[in-house]
Amino acid sequence: MCGIAGIMLNSPADIGKKMVRMLDGLQHRGPDSTGFALYREGLPERLVVRILLKCSSQSVEGKNRAKKVKAIINGFGLKILSEEYNKEHYRIEIPGLDSVKELSYTLENQAGVEILSIGSALEIIKDIGGAIEVDERYGVSGFTGTHAIGHVRLATESVVDTSRAHPFWAYGFSDVAIVHNGQITNYFKMKRRLEKHGYQFRTDNDSELVAVYLADKLDRGLSLEEVLKRSVDELDGTFSFLVSTKDGFGFAKDHLAAKPMVVLETDEIVAVASEEVALNRLFPGVGLDTYEPFPGAYKTWQRSTLSLV
Amino acid sequence: MATINAELGVTKVNEKIHKLIESQEKEIIIENPDAQHLICVGMIGKSRIKIEGSAGYFCGGLSDGIDIFIRNNAGWGVADNILSGEIVVGKNAGAIAGVGMRGGKLIVRGNIGSRAGAMMKDGWIIAGGKANFMAGYMMMGGKLVICGDCGQGVGQNIINGAIYCGGNIESVGDDAKIVETTPEEYAEIAALLEEAGIDVPEKFQKVIAEGKDLHYQKYEGSGKRVQVASPLGAMWPKRITDDIATKAELGRYRVRGFGASRHIPTFDDIAFRITPGNISEQLGMLNRCNLKTTLGNKYASQPLELEMPILIAPMSYGALSKPCKIALAKASALAGIAINNGEGGMMPEERAAAAKMIYQCLSGRYGFSIHDMLKADAVEIYISQGAKPGLGGQLMGKKVTPDIARIRGLPQGIDIRSPSRHPDVLGADDLIIKIEEFREATSGRVPISLKIGAGRVNNDIKIALKDTVDFIEIDGMEGGTGASSAVVTDNVGIPSLAAIIQATDGLEEIGCGGQLQIVQMGGIRDGVDAAKAIALGATAVAVGTATLVAMGCSGCMTCHTGKCPRGIATQEDELVKKFDIDTAAQRCASFLKSMGSEMAAIALSCGVPTIHGLGKEHLIALTPQAAEITGLPLAREGDILL
Repeated sequence: MCGIAGIMLNSPADIGKKMVRMLDGLQHRGPDSTGFALYREGLPERLVVRILLKCSSQSVEGKNRAKKVKAIINGFGLKILSEEYNKEHYRIEIPGLDSVKELSYTLENQAGVEILSIGSALEIIKDIGGAIEVDERYGVSGFTGTHAIGHVRLATESVVDTSRAHPFWAYGFSDVAIVHNGQITNYFKMKRRLEKHGYQFRTDNDSELVAVYLADKLDRGLSLEEVLKRSVDELDGTFSFLVSTKDGFGFAKDHLAAKPMVVLETDEIVAVASEEVALNRLFPGVGLDTYEPFPGAYKTWQRSTLSLV
Repeated sequence: MATINAELGVTKVNEKIHKLIESQEKEIIIENPDAQHLICVGMIGKSRIKIEGSAGYFCGGLSDGIDIFIRNNAGWGVADNILSGEIVVGKNAGAIAGVGMRGGKLIVRGNIGSRAGAMMKDGWIIAGGKANFMAGYMMMGGKLVICGDCGQGVGQNIINGAIYCGGNIESVGDDAKIVETTPEEYAEIAALLEEAGIDVPEKFQKVIAEGKDLHYQKYEGSGKRVQVASPLGAMWPKRITDDIATKAELGRYRVRGFGASRHIPTFDDIAFRITPGNISEQLGMLNRCNLKTTLGNKYASQPLELEMPILIAPMSYGALSKPCKIALAKASALAGIAINNGEGGMMPEERAAAAKMIYQCLSGRYGFSIHDMLKADAVEIYISQGAKPGLGGQLMGKKVTPDIARIRGLPQGIDIRSPSRHPDVLGADDLIIKIEEFREATSGRVPISLKIGAGRVNNDIKIALKDTVDFIEIDGMEGGTGASSAVVTDNVGIPSLAAIIQATDGLEEIGCGGQLQIVQMGGIRDGVDAAKAIALGATAVAVGTATLVAMGCSGCMTCHTGKCPRGIATQEDELVKKFDIDTAAQRCASFLKSMGSEMAAIALSCGVPTIHGLGKEHLIALTPQAAEITGLPLAREGDILL
């Protein structure tokens, strides 16, 4: 039960500022928590790991956890290139890696922390509170990048905390994130199926399932478009979600058309949001040419296909 | 001509529009709308409003007589429930455009979103482009014209009215069929389209109701009493064998009224305890116990002020006879409390007789209008009820008289099954915008409440709190009804005793204990039940069935057949005549006052000077089961039972 928004530009710009504005415009749909998945132009030789320590980074326990994280990373034969702390959040840069799945499971299971995201382009920033507050805490506005998705949450069933805030990183897969508005009815069935394939779930939130489901399909070599096409048939319930990868971005919408979504496409920008009011935050005073996707619709955009100005 | 800059924010914009309409301004321009929600909600009068850009949700909703031109797009629910006036959308409209329309015209030059015209009763909706999913869902009247292609499920469960489609129809919905469009109809539509400057398609396919689902094929016999208790351990008591015999004839689930017919934990399973030292010196001076209650003062500027913490529960004109509704309204006024109008519109005589009235908004929007909303002292959004969570209301055809059909905007004599969901509330996120729409329409004056059938109360109450309602009404599974599927009445939901505990626990869990007033209903039979609910955490209770019993209901279980021998739950003239309004009102008011004196007696016995001084510390459980449900201690030696 929430609001979602996403944006893709044809050249790097103040994507953080734009997302804060859009999500602030949607805050009435979800006051509990706000989150951003922000993409800069990727650096292939480097990965950004964003970690939730689940206690203050200044506390003894926080410092211990950070120490464990570093030891595990070193155990993988990787050097820490840089590190930063902010409240419960711990951001480190490490050299590039082919698969991050084993590293992320090891970190979570042994260091008692939670991975918010790993990617060469992606950084997920999320916390309880509104868009403006989260921006004040983590400086989202300062982020320059190419595309982003974001979410405002109204918790209906699971607890209000950072772990259950969106976006969800597609756990174990670099640079893949989702935001979701709705309710997946066949959640338990799909979750059991993915668990049989060795995936671990960290929350009882159905949106995490969407993230892992999509990532699993991408991992099998399917294109983003093909993955979205299948999701519309295989996931049951009321949903509309956005998925983003290193250089792509797309949406899928349920067959019941129960959740709103409005799309704006121009040569310079693609923007998608639950409500047009969020899109208008980017273009105040302008009447926009938008459309509402049909039920069962899905669509993707690649950065390379957006024509340059 | 007047111009308003919408950067002011929608509430200020709407205040200005109200004033301009009052001063007879004929043309109002709204600049920088930026797709804000609720622009022009609740406007009555004659004016032409131009919105220079896109509008958000419910633009022009709950208005009467206003013409609106939206230059770009409109969000969900444009023209919601309008009575007259013309709303034009220059480009596309979102889902549920024209939901519950009762007249007027909505013209969308571009595409129209899913479930366009859902529950509309009258008027025209015209779309120049395509229509999304389920156009004309549960439409009850009026005309819906789609010039382009239509998506799946056109006319899903349509009851009355017609959908004209100029393009391809992907699929026709359940209980709908395609018929020929007559040349007269074509000419009428063509003229309207030309006037609107929309290209006229060469032909139209017309979709109307097939009508198979408007009636049950067979009805249950009248007067078969449902035994409430059955011998313990008996596998096949008479109520089971009777039930099977009835179903062997009907071939479907049974429909009946009253309420749950099997044993469930009730307020009887708990009792009060007192600490002798605390016995108030006011004992015996009932008039000194303060029962006065303010309900809904969280956001509303004019909360409900009640003489005692009781409401009369929503019961519809349709389920009940007209004189019975009037008697209830009179009784509520005599007792100094509020009544809820129930489904099917606000009856003028009922409004006149009641001192305070809560106006209910249900999924079917029968008889729903801005004019009645403005006469209300509170507005309630009904999500579900204890007797039938997950299902809409039912009213068997025998009770759908010409008058009731007219008020509800439906064909006479059909078996009305109200939609199980609101067309424009599919989640907590939509609900918040609906609540804001009502708050805009009533200028923040009256409380907005939410009614839920008790199920997952622990989650629901958190949503209600976040969605900014003024109070919540929780209906336990004991709650009564005029007609419902018997399986649901007996087997879906949780008892009031458990519901109120879940509600208070839910608020405590998020550190918001006491921050949302709770009205508990379902199975409240007297002042003792009421006092127990209040001690458990409710601010007030609502009573339905008990008021009917006070007016003469014998519990004969014929509510659904329309053959009520006491003139209460019937529409047959001969039976209705037996009902005397003044006698019934007096009896009902006396009963309500007795509840007040019972509450006062208990409060004073427990040593608290006001009814709201009661708490869990004054209660004990009489059974292990009740102790487990409520967390109250089991009665043990030394406690004084009241």
